[in-house]
Amino acid sequence: MVRSITNLSRSGLADWMVQRVSAVLLALYTLFLLGIFIANPGLGYEQWQHLFSIFWVKVFTLITLLSLVGHIWVGMWTVVTDYIHNAWVRFIVLFAIAVTSFVYLITGITAVWGV
Amino acid sequence: MLFFAVGFMIWALSNSLESRQGFEQTVAIMTHPLAKFITWGILSLIAYHLLAGIKHLIMDAGYLETLETGPVAAKVTLALTAVVIVLLGVWVW
Repeated sequence: MVRSITNLSRSGLADWMVQRVSAVLLALYTLFLLGIFIANPGLGYEQWQHLFSIFWVKVFTLITLLSLVGHIWVGMWTVVTDYIHNAWVRFIVLFAIAVTSFVYLITGITAVWGV
Repeated sequence: MLFFAVGFMIWALSNSLESRQGFEQTVAIMTHPLAKFITWGILSLIAYHLLAGIKHLIMDAGYLETLETGPVAAKVTLALTAVVIVLLGVWVW
């Protein structure tokens, strides 16, 4: 059995689960934000800032950010390992994705943390 | 594409929450016609990804995997996505 070390978790099955669970969370958060925007046309800074000052909204956002990174990694890993056959190029692309995802995560956390 | 779109979204979130100026700057940028078009594009990417994802979850449950139901589900997903993209377009403009 080929033993891959670059996928997110120990087994392909665990990746499969991470992908599905994160997808559901991301879908819920997307619908949540869509609802906020539709219910509050012409949303001002006060409302927007207030929204993210609510504790459970922060928790929801943070768990969504983590889900996002997991979803990105499993998804992009699947695409990259299917299409890029040169090991070095594949490694560099995966590394770039990892670093970018980490920047996304930190930027997202710091954005919500201070509100 | 979505991967880069996420970058814009996180930037907008961070910028808009940072301060009132950041919020106004983000709004000003997003009202620019080109930014509206890109926003519409990003929302369409998300819509397709979400709907196709839901189809995949259904398939994981064991449905929509036969020769008859498979193509139908694909067409329904695409049709639904087209409708949602039009609605998003109306909403953005």
